[in-house]
Amino acid sequence: MSERVRSGVNPAAVEATLKALLARGLPEVEVLAKRGRSRRFALDGERTASSYAEERGWAVRAGDRRGSLFACGTGDPSPEGPWPPAYPPALRLPTPQPPPPWKEPSDFEVPLIGEREGLALLLGIARELTAELPRGRLLAATLEDGSSEGRITSSKGLSATFRGRLAALRLEAIGPGLSRPAVVELSEREARRFNPKALARKLADRLAVGAAPGLTDGEERSGNLLLAPAVAARLLAGLAPLFFGPRTDGEISAILGGAVRIGSEALTLIDDGRFPGGVLESPIDGEGTPTREVGIVERGNFLGPVLSPGQARGANPTGAAGSRAQISGIARRASFRDLPTPGPSHLYIRPDPKVAVGSLLGSVAIGTYLIDALGPARFDFATGSFVLPVCGLAVENGKATAPIGHAWLSGEISDLLRGIAAVGRDLAFLPLDGMIGSPTLLVHGLVLRGR
Amino acid sequence: MPFSSFDTAALARSLAQLAGSGEDWVDAFFERTEEIELPPDGQGPGFSLRREEGFAVRLVRERRAFLASRDGIDGRSFSEALRQVARALPAASVPEPDLPMAPWPGAPGPPEAPEVVDFAGLLERAIRAHHTAFPLRLTVRRHQRWLQVATPRLVPGPESERYYSLDAEIPGGRWGALLPQLGRAEAEAAAGHLVELFRARTALPFSPRTGPILLGPAAVAVLLHEAVAHALEADLLALSGKPDSAIGVALGSPLLSVLDDPGAAPESVRRATDDEGLPVCRRWLLRNGVVEQPLADAAWSRSATTLLPGAGRRAGRHDLPMPRSHHLELLAGTTSEGALFDGAEGGLWLPQVRRGTLDPRSGELELRFPFARRIYKGEPAETLGPCAIHGRLADLLGKATAVGDVRRSEGAGWCAKGGQKLPVWATTPGLLLAEVEVTR
Repeated sequence: MSERVRSGVNPAAVEATLKALLARGLPEVEVLAKRGRSRRFALDGERTASSYAEERGWAVRAGDRRGSLFACGTGDPSPEGPWPPAYPPALRLPTPQPPPPWKEPSDFEVPLIGEREGLALLLGIARELTAELPRGRLLAATLEDGSSEGRITSSKGLSATFRGRLAALRLEAIGPGLSRPAVVELSEREARRFNPKALARKLADRLAVGAAPGLTDGEERSGNLLLAPAVAARLLAGLAPLFFGPRTDGEISAILGGAVRIGSEALTLIDDGRFPGGVLESPIDGEGTPTREVGIVERGNFLGPVLSPGQARGANPTGAAGSRAQISGIARRASFRDLPTPGPSHLYIRPDPKVAVGSLLGSVAIGTYLIDALGPARFDFATGSFVLPVCGLAVENGKATAPIGHAWLSGEISDLLRGIAAVGRDLAFLPLDGMIGSPTLLVHGLVLRGR
Repeated sequence: MPFSSFDTAALARSLAQLAGSGEDWVDAFFERTEEIELPPDGQGPGFSLRREEGFAVRLVRERRAFLASRDGIDGRSFSEALRQVARALPAASVPEPDLPMAPWPGAPGPPEAPEVVDFAGLLERAIRAHHTAFPLRLTVRRHQRWLQVATPRLVPGPESERYYSLDAEIPGGRWGALLPQLGRAEAEAAAGHLVELFRARTALPFSPRTGPILLGPAAVAVLLHEAVAHALEADLLALSGKPDSAIGVALGSPLLSVLDDPGAAPESVRRATDDEGLPVCRRWLLRNGVVEQPLADAAWSRSATTLLPGAGRRAGRHDLPMPRSHHLELLAGTTSEGALFDGAEGGLWLPQVRRGTLDPRSGELELRFPFARRIYKGEPAETLGPCAIHGRLADLLGKATAVGDVRRSEGAGWCAKGGQKLPVWATTPGLLLAEVEVTR
């Protein structure tokens, strides 16, 4: 198969551009070229929309010891540019490393979902929701199924191709007794993996619980908390900035109450750019550095933050986050327009394959099962505290007794991490800032409040 | 204009083949965009240039819309997209129109942007003039957009927009602005906002209270965008009923007359047509507090015939248009600035908004402010910490008791409705609201 067919880009244009920039006296040059296509479907009341988009673009980072520039555009890169002037700071590209062996998933080859199929999926969810909850209604739904491929080349000798596959679904539904809709956002590698019946059931549960009265102002519920993956992942997304990028021991201690021992034995936290079956699974990151599984917290012990090679060069090696820093390919690049930005790819709490959610629920004598977050978590790293709007079910002797439509889960971040008593086996990811995943968590020591 | 050599007659003929009946809406949207960005010191790369070209072909048939979009502009891709949207059109019947693009400004060299390069220095000097200094991380961007819409019957003139955005991070928080121009005056105004925000970092914590509040023009711009423009977008109105049934409803105080008039926007972002190629109008959203003409695009105006089109906007070629405002105006009242402050005695002066959100289904509005200043003896006095107002938009708009007599043009900010990020502009005076509950 020719290079042009495989990566979808014109390798001659990429090479010529690289040479032209080197000839301009810029020793650090990286050229990325990418192509993609996507189908998008939207259902909005009685209206439907279907789109098909083809994207083709390129991006160049170049520089020397004095300055750097970034340029990008649609089409193929051209040796003529035009190239903007280089301004400080200097640019130092990562030294390429060969990625460990990786087998491209076969579903990368599956064709995009067709027009009738895509709209049928959304209409199927709407139908199933009405069957699950007769007065429930799907207000709006969007489905996007896309694939992309490209090539990244640098003056350091990097020459790599990459491919990706991503489907995203967003559902907004309303039910009896609710003034605000329930929203579900999910990602899969391929749109056909979305199951209308399961999604409708999830929405119906969420609508039924959301319609119940919430905790009143000043009301509190203590006892054990069971956090469903949707709730735990939201909390983890809020914590993610602590674990990526240079951090000193002092900073970590101030927020988490310790520099090493930050969580319970049950807490093991991993980021893995090549998570098998993951939506963002790839052997290299957005600047061609190999991805790998990186343990961030092992049985409650913080092993050190994850840094991209560029961050590692800038980090102070005596600052302890620096001394324990783990370098990996974590630069994400959503499109050719975006600069590589370090962050999580598949960040998740390791599940315990021996623990079923039912057994976790059965262990709760008095407590609450929080099934969903009603919005993003707010973390205040200055005070080490957090708050998250949630809904769920009151639990007594392992059985749900009453729905709780709205409450605030709040507390200290250190109490949250140290309070994880057990984890389930039902790992699920949410598309937040990267794919953020968690199994169900059993947590002690947090309080649920009304306003 | 980059599209001046297009064979528009051939374009219109090609599009005409898509329309199965007179009821079908067909259009082509061509765009060229350029963004120049200078990030904060030390944050690489030093200078960014983003240039894009592309197009989309759209067919709206009854309640279904079909869109095919491409990066790059050429006749072959256009014909391909046309066939995709038609889904049944034989290949031979679509000739490839001639779509030559003019060279980029400044070609073959890079674009010049001295105003972007010089701005950080101007701002630093303006901040020093306030006898203060603080760490500042500033990103300056220049945005340019050229558009051409074509329909089978009409090929309106091309449109262009040019504006700037600032994104600043200081010890007191973040601050951003949209500006039609960039120069010394803008640097001085930005310095004023940043110094105020910096000084607010040591403010007393806010304690909840109910009383009069005086919103500065920048805060009024955000209020109008959330509480009037979003509330009167046909697609959002449709979530709770028929969009045209909002006409005639009293939404706010009789003192409030609010318009959306893209033709009166600052010159560099002024528009004669919307992103569907339809003429814009001076649209009275509220006349004396009563809803007169909600915002509608072509599709919504066809399903609710009392709604005027001309407010269809899209962030780019890969997005479908939707009803959006472009340039909001609150008609000036008769109250001088001094009288506004006197009327808010004992209350709060709220010049900046950090974030505004509206839940279109419940009509619940939230505005969050980075700080407030207590009004004492007709002037802003001590600074208080971050605070917020929540409530139903009609309740809030009904509390307007005085409108200032001097208007200022402001960028109301970026609006990201439906994931489509667009700049919004406003020309507003200050606004006094009575008995508003302000929380932390």
